[in-house]
Amino acid sequence: MEQVPAKNEMASHSPAWNIITSYNGPKVRIMEVCGTHTHEIFRLGIRHILPPAIELISGPGCPVCVTPVSFIDEALLLALEHHVTLCTFGDLVRVPGTKMNLADARSSGANIRIVYTPLDAYLYAKNNPEQQTVFLSVGFETTVPAACLAVKKAYADGLTNFSLLTANKTMKNAYRALKRSANAFLYPGHVNAITGTALCESLTQEGISGVITGFTANELLTALAVILTKTKEGRPFFYNCYPRVVTQDGSKTAQSLIAEIMEPCASEWRGLGIIPQSGLKLQPIYKGFDARLRFHLPALTGRSDPACRCGDVLQGKCKPTDCKIFGNRCRPEHPIGACMVSNEGACSAYYQYGGNL
Amino acid sequence: METTITLAHGAGGKQTSDLIAHVFKKHFSNPEFTADDAAVLTIQEQKLAFTTDGFIVSPWKFPGGNIGKLSICGTVNDLACMGAKPLYLSCAFVIEEGFPLDQLEEIATAMEKTALEAGIKIVAGDTKVAGKGQVDHLFITTTGVGQIMSEAHTSGANARPGDAVIVTGDIGRHGCTILLARNTYGIDAAVTSDCAPLWGAVESMFTTDNNIHVIRDATRGGVGTVLYEIAEQSNVGIRLNRPAIPVDPAVKGVCGMLGLDPMYLACEGRLVVFAPKKTASKLLEALHRNKYAQNAAIIGEVTDKMPGKVIVTTEIGTETMLPPPGGELLPRIC
Repeated sequence: MEQVPAKNEMASHSPAWNIITSYNGPKVRIMEVCGTHTHEIFRLGIRHILPPAIELISGPGCPVCVTPVSFIDEALLLALEHHVTLCTFGDLVRVPGTKMNLADARSSGANIRIVYTPLDAYLYAKNNPEQQTVFLSVGFETTVPAACLAVKKAYADGLTNFSLLTANKTMKNAYRALKRSANAFLYPGHVNAITGTALCESLTQEGISGVITGFTANELLTALAVILTKTKEGRPFFYNCYPRVVTQDGSKTAQSLIAEIMEPCASEWRGLGIIPQSGLKLQPIYKGFDARLRFHLPALTGRSDPACRCGDVLQGKCKPTDCKIFGNRCRPEHPIGACMVSNEGACSAYYQYGGNL
Repeated sequence: METTITLAHGAGGKQTSDLIAHVFKKHFSNPEFTADDAAVLTIQEQKLAFTTDGFIVSPWKFPGGNIGKLSICGTVNDLACMGAKPLYLSCAFVIEEGFPLDQLEEIATAMEKTALEAGIKIVAGDTKVAGKGQVDHLFITTTGVGQIMSEAHTSGANARPGDAVIVTGDIGRHGCTILLARNTYGIDAAVTSDCAPLWGAVESMFTTDNNIHVIRDATRGGVGTVLYEIAEQSNVGIRLNRPAIPVDPAVKGVCGMLGLDPMYLACEGRLVVFAPKKTASKLLEALHRNKYAQNAAIIGEVTDKMPGKVIVTTEIGTETMLPPPGGELLPRIC
């Protein structure tokens, strides 16, 4: 039989590997903020090499997971009562609203289109001028620039049939809200590619520690090793372990586009409640593209399944497997909670990769 | 003759016979392809494999092939997986009104060429024309008959602990090619479909060592889905060595950007083969001599632990489960 390398020698005999596997200090809780980190950590089997004192918890970094029930209810109202065409990322159609999800609404005749970028929604609106088209604008600093670009183009074209239902979020105040949930954050590399390092660096003054990292085995192991080493020293710290992508300033173009089209606002996060200045809404000059204003949407209070513990999972208060409905009533093919919907959701990752295997 | 397909081409009259003569008969001609209601085949008293498959692919033409080539490869490969030498094939077309004739001919030419290479004769066919908008350009259904080699006993239920798992080339290329060809993501990458007829590769394995337990072609659902099916059918565990799984760097790059796993992207020219380890190393040598299997590799083994599950040894030597197949493939959004 042909011999194949059993493992990547670099990763498994690196100093980082040794620091992690031989860790015997006090208990450390590390929150991976980004859904892709959660997924990659499972895919690489990193949890299996961690000594018991190191606990990884999955934070609120998947845009689908933190979207509150009330947002889905608003989208349902637009689709079913205002008969608009909803354009949305695919994952969102399976997130439960109070009474149904968007996939159910589509079966009962609602016009719901899956798009891969907000620009597709803008193009649909442009090509179908008789049809009111609403893009469900979720996502962090990574996805916001594309939504802003869609609005900018629609404004330039004078479109009157395109709008956004915004639930976009920014991370800074979420870190503050989650300060007590973890000793350190694995900061999301993709988000920091846009925002730069300055934002996270300044958080050390408030006692918030963390490391920016990428998505390969070496990047993840290095970041964990840095966190373990620096935590022992007892002072708040910040390191950029993803310098090949994340610079100090980030993307100025994306940042100025966001600032031109949107402004900060309070935002509701599933499980975390309303966090001030943690969301984005359209600037007054673009408010004609705000679906809430255009369709006079009432303030809605969504209600999630009482058994679902997504909120606790997102704050690291429990593991997905601690939830009573995990893997039985709530499965990827029939999600009850948002964290089971997206591939990047903590519950979905736990389920797909066999729980505690 | 018109330059596009009209409803009259499917009405059974003169235009239909013109179409058959000018496109299909021209490319599919052989002694058994007649104008009669059915082909008459002479088959010795042997076990036959018989299979059918429908082909809908958008776009119909993609780097590395088109729906015509795909429709021959799909059926030829299904027969090959049973250890059956492909003999005869029928094809049924449903064509959208307005489809350009020169493009239909391009498809027929690809079918002719692929059938010739695979050694299968196209002996019967049917053409229907559907109104504009009722089908997406054209759909093709092919049905094939093959003669099973006496020594072939392949089935998904035959995997045994100790078997090696071979994949006959890099994975996920067809699925990745189609994703890119749809131009939905604005990603440009040099990826070509792996679409290929694989009877030659299978025949060379049987001539080398016929102690082969399972052969499956990893089409829709990709290699991951096939492995889970076999683990379940044979009630065995499968352990994969991820660094040994061949993936084209461009496919890996696209999957990385979109958050997709190449294990679940479709292949159209890749087989998954299970055989005892001693046999497997000989099969690998034979496969490397075939032009469609030069990157064949042993990617794992069968165990008696955790039946029904596929476990992966990762690139850093840890273990994790291959997520079971399910749901649509959706790109990540952050």
